Amino acid sequence: MIAEDQALLREGIVALLQEHGIEVVAQAEDGAGLLRVVAGHKPDLAIVDVRLPPTFTDEGIRAALEARRRRPDLAVLVLSQYVEPVYTGELLSTGESGVGYLLKERVSEVRAFLDAVERVAAGGTALDREVVASLVRERGRGDSDGELASLTNREREVLELIAQGRTNAAIARELVITLGAVEKHISNIFTKLDLPTGDDDHRRVLAVLAYLRAMQPG
Amino acid sequence: MERGLWLLEQATTEPMARERNVRSGSAVLAAQLTLSATVALAVTIIWAATGMGYFWPMWVWFGLALALALPAGIHSAWAEPRGRLRRLAVHRTLSMIFSVSVVVIWALAGGGFFWPVFPILGLGLAFVAHAAAGSPHQRDLAGRVDELTRTRRGALDVQAAELRRIERDLHDGAQARLVALSMQLGRAEERLEDQPEAAALVRRAREEASAAIAELRDLARGIAPPVLADRGLVAAVEALAARSPSPVNVSAEVVHRGPPMVETAAYFVVAESLTNAAKHAPGAPVDIAIQESDATLVVEVADEGPGGADPAGSGLTGLRQRVEALDGALSVSSPVGRGTLVRAVLPCA
Repeated sequence: MIAEDQALLREGIVALLQEHGIEVVAQAEDGAGLLRVVAGHKPDLAIVDVRLPPTFTDEGIRAALEARRRRPDLAVLVLSQYVEPVYTGELLSTGESGVGYLLKERVSEVRAFLDAVERVAAGGTALDREVVASLVRERGRGDSDGELASLTNREREVLELIAQGRTNAAIARELVITLGAVEKHISNIFTKLDLPTGDDDHRRVLAVLAYLRAMQPG
Repeated sequence: MERGLWLLEQATTEPMARERNVRSGSAVLAAQLTLSATVALAVTIIWAATGMGYFWPMWVWFGLALALALPAGIHSAWAEPRGRLRRLAVHRTLSMIFSVSVVVIWALAGGGFFWPVFPILGLGLAFVAHAAAGSPHQRDLAGRVDELTRTRRGALDVQAAELRRIERDLHDGAQARLVALSMQLGRAEERLEDQPEAAALVRRAREEASAAIAELRDLARGIAPPVLADRGLVAAVEALAARSPSPVNVSAEVVHRGPPMVETAAYFVVAESLTNAAKHAPGAPVDIAIQESDATLVVEVADEGPGGADPAGSGLTGLRQRVEALDGALSVSSPVGRGTLVRAVLPCA
């Protein structure tokens, strides 16, 4: 389902998804509508704009958080015109699986957008590269941040891509390096960030969340 | 005594903005009143006990009433805006209290020839002279300052509202259309897989649209970060604190949302100070205090770094200009070896 007040964009996304065999069961124009649809149609995934009527501030995020609280297994992909780490942090605090935060213009990269939709619907995470980049930039600014300062530039790039939910193969393609090199970088990141050994997928999420948790105020 | 009560009534009808001052002022007055009444009663009893001769307690009563009337009168005159108006009000109050006093003295002393007419006449003339003394030029100037203060405030408020409107229009208008455009281009690109040259053209067009969206986003962000507009100053400052590499403690006592310009200025004071702290005092703890009292917002950012910041540096100068444009004040205290304190006081009436 889709909650987006701008008809042009909403209809475009609906058309895009339907062309690729994804069924759109309902559309809503505001937060209240989103909650009604979630209760009524039981969608697998909700695509939500941050700014919705009537306040045009953070209605969408609030509605998405409420929907996740009512139905913890609902996957939510938030679309926003700007990077706001506070909102990303809040979204992730409702659980690390089945959430995504993308800038709106990513819908134009059709393949990547559909990948993100499918990944989030399947219980994965998708974070916009701008979101991740801004976090890594900000956390890495001060010398005091020992954790991140110990990463090499290449390791940071790899971490950014992990945070976007990319697979190792995709990371290798993006950075034009071998799969083995990617695995080596990732293992270095895990060691430097002092993450427990175990399930690799889980450690990937932890590596990213180590930063994101610090973003939540309080 | 009557005079004192009358002034007390005057004081309690002051405008809302001074309510708190007046309330503490009237508490003091009430205490004084009780004390005076007790003393008056005591001297009257003494007078009665010592044989009820000449009724001298009336002089004590008079003295007590005068002691009450003077501070109350000056307090009420102080409510006038600072400068010429306040000076005139004080002058008027003192003249009136003195005039009433000489009439009372005349009456208590047994009447007779009404000599108080001379001092009262003199005081009246002096007051008229004072009131007329401010040349028309001076009076125009004072009025002009008042008007400019008011209109500057109005202009800034209009500007703030305008900026938010532009940001909203960008979001709902140009940005939304560009997003829709780039999405259509993306779909077109996908269908042109078998015509690589055309697909490349469309991709370039899509990338241009994305770049335009990114530029618009940066533009809107420079106006005010979204979380500030959405959730207010405290939430925005907490987000800044969480993102800062320094350990930051935020304590905030803010109930109301201030005018947008004030919130934005306070936000940039914190943002700039945190950036400075992270740069010059890496790892040092930072304390941020935001307090709202009496229609003023006070923002303090203190770090325990090496101090020695240059208050004339470009960052701090920019902040000072921003704060002073709102009639606020920015002070920087940074003794070498004792940390840095940046303090902004912003009126938000």
